[in-house]
Amino acid sequence: MLFPTFDFAIFFAVAFTANWLLNPRPRAWKLAMIALSYFFYGWVGWSYCFLLLATTVVTHVGAAAVHASKTEKSRRWAMGLACGCLLGILGWFKYYGFVSVNVDNVTHALGMGRIIPLLQVALPIAISFFTFMALSYVIDVYRRQLTPARPLDLALYLSFFPHLLAGPIVRGNELLPQLRHRRDPNAVDYSRALWLIMGGLFKKVVISSYVSSAIVTPVFTAPAQHSALESIFGAWGYAVQIYCDFSGYTDIAIGLALLLGIRFPVNFDAPYTARNLQDFWRRWHITLSRWLRDYLYIPLGGNSGSEARTVRNIMITMVLGGLWHGAAWTFVVWGALHGVGQGVGHVRRRSRVNRGLPAVAEGPVRVWVQRFLTFQYVCLGWVFFNATGMSNAFAVLGRLFSGWGHGSPLVTPLLVLVVCGTVASQFVPTLRVDRLQAAFSRQHAAVQVGLLSFFLLGVTTFGPAGVAPFIYYRF
Amino acid sequence: MATEPSTEPQTEEAPPRGTARWPRVLAVSVGAFLLWMLLFAPTLQHNAQVSPIGTRRTVALDILRPIAATSRFLQLSHIVSETDALTGRTGNRPGDGSGAVVIGPFHRHHFHLHHPTGPPPPPGATTTTSTLPDIGHPSAANKLRVLIVGDSLGIDMGGPLQNDLTNTGVVQAELDGRESTGLTRPDYFNWPAELQSDMISIHPQVVVIMMGANDPQDFAGPPDIPYSSPRWNPTYASRVSTFMQIAEAGGARVIWMGMPPMQNGQLSSEMSDINTIDQSQASLQHPPVNFISCWTLLGTAQGTYTPFITNGSGQVVNVRTPDGTHLTPAGGEVLSQSIINYMKGTLHIDLP
Repeated sequence: MLFPTFDFAIFFAVAFTANWLLNPRPRAWKLAMIALSYFFYGWVGWSYCFLLLATTVVTHVGAAAVHASKTEKSRRWAMGLACGCLLGILGWFKYYGFVSVNVDNVTHALGMGRIIPLLQVALPIAISFFTFMALSYVIDVYRRQLTPARPLDLALYLSFFPHLLAGPIVRGNELLPQLRHRRDPNAVDYSRALWLIMGGLFKKVVISSYVSSAIVTPVFTAPAQHSALESIFGAWGYAVQIYCDFSGYTDIAIGLALLLGIRFPVNFDAPYTARNLQDFWRRWHITLSRWLRDYLYIPLGGNSGSEARTVRNIMITMVLGGLWHGAAWTFVVWGALHGVGQGVGHVRRRSRVNRGLPAVAEGPVRVWVQRFLTFQYVCLGWVFFNATGMSNAFAVLGRLFSGWGHGSPLVTPLLVLVVCGTVASQFVPTLRVDRLQAAFSRQHAAVQVGLLSFFLLGVTTFGPAGVAPFIYYRF
Repeated sequence: MATEPSTEPQTEEAPPRGTARWPRVLAVSVGAFLLWMLLFAPTLQHNAQVSPIGTRRTVALDILRPIAATSRFLQLSHIVSETDALTGRTGNRPGDGSGAVVIGPFHRHHFHLHHPTGPPPPPGATTTTSTLPDIGHPSAANKLRVLIVGDSLGIDMGGPLQNDLTNTGVVQAELDGRESTGLTRPDYFNWPAELQSDMISIHPQVVVIMMGANDPQDFAGPPDIPYSSPRWNPTYASRVSTFMQIAEAGGARVIWMGMPPMQNGQLSSEMSDINTIDQSQASLQHPPVNFISCWTLLGTAQGTYTPFITNGSGQVVNVRTPDGTHLTPAGGEVLSQSIINYMKGTLHIDLP
């Protein structure tokens, strides 16, 4: 079920009412929320509910085994086995087809026969998200940062519909305590919630859809037919499209959870204002980057070893982070680009410290140059991220060199305004947004109804005839 | 007297700023949604009308009919229509482009023509359907104009084909693809009108069509013609024929790509029926439309569905997306190469 649909509006009206009516009865509330969440997930395909259930069972049994183990060795074994099972499920559904084709082509080149069968396994929606949440839960129990939750709590933690399809990737210690306590029905944070939902709808339905059809899709479909300027705006446009698409989804998810009395962590913090790639990953898909940091980068050794070892850890983390997004070489390259960029940045910073050089003066020109260069490097990565294959990515990039001297009819004033305006909007101080929310909350209910309905009318009038699924649904 | 511990967090204070009691939040949200429905009702009603025939459509229309009537009576619908007129958002768009928040079964993206005006036909070019002009030697100065149209599978094929043809340096290729569309429901998207418009603006010398995956459904009436009805095949054949005639009217060579086998057995059988109609109509045109079958190109030698095929260099490639219906870029590339080979070999077009 997609958020910006009539079906979901009706579903959420039911879920919202059930949520608050059952709030005084925790067990009934949990059962209802689990049932609603499975219904929400089953809307895509009922068979996938069994996968979610299986993941929940594996996670619960694994965490219980970790907790019950007497020795550190047996704890480690139990944790490893549970994580192996969870990664096995993810690997089968997400990577088997990719691996089998590549293995087959290698064995063919070596003159060998087929050693593994070719199978195309349908990718269940949201599997990457709930698997990562399950992994973090098991590891947190192993690290004694979390005590095993009751089965109902765990089932709701993994399936809770606002975060189920595309995050944010919520930690056990963030969500589980909220599920154990009743929410205050007299203080629903609706002003902020509605702001997030409306803003998310606008970003997804209006901005992302417009930029996609106006420049991104044409440029990536037929790169040879577009000028260098159109290719540049194709890459910049995709940066805007994926930001509005994914942060729009996240905003709606956070807003919906708030209406149910649940707080999710922030997932985006003006990522295109970043001054370097490290800064970018503190602002982009924050819940994924902290997952990668805490469950992959630091266990690999983090930055505690030699420089070479730190760079290796960064590369491994980013390449695996790229593969998390999809089973394709383009995602590997995307991850590697971010790994190389962060590795170089790390070496430069470390080398300055080692040589005892003073910190560089932080003038505004330097800051803006850093922001500009970081944005361009991020856009270079987005070209691979969005490309249908390596040749497609190189075709788009090749036009930056060979596509000069042609007309650029797709680069219209409206497109320039939307792309630049969206990036510029990330520099607007959040204080202004808070003031607008406060002003909204002071209005009479009738005025609020009018404002909301006219905003919805604007979104649906200026949006396209149908809403494409969120980009991150396919991860 | 001892009191029972309260099950609800109680407070005598007013809720903090920006917060409210949940019934108020529900009232504001539902109120806003209902007002939006009233303002947007005529568009919602139209979207329901052009959706696939079935219970969902019937129920939606029953609900929306009185709301839309109220909206029109109160003149509220003018807000949307005036906004559309002001922003130029009118014309032939799937679902009439009115911002419907529904996803069609094959909906993914929506492709526009981005170079809507093409050069006029060269002087002396004939426009009769029986004698086609010589287009055998395109050059950088005199590019071959190719128009590719289709539904989502047509887009899957059309993207690689457009790119491959453009890379020859002697072809100006345009792709007009619309997802969730076909020839069964012109009330949702009017392909004949769209093709006529494309023919006038582009003057293509070759038209490549791949369409039909969304067509096995009822024709909207009145009276409706159910897909299972004996009248369905002749009606669909007539629409295919008309569409082919529009494509050929300007003297263009027309290539019609058949549908590939599908993972879903029923859909595959329906595609086979659609192909039979398309192929028979292609042979009845004057001159005949060039029908290329994808059945074994993207299937097994026996004509059954397979997600993987072995290409000419012996490499295994994944040609179908996991939904068992659409084409991967590699699948689109397979069709693109077969079309280009057909253009070179059968249509005798000199392409690098």
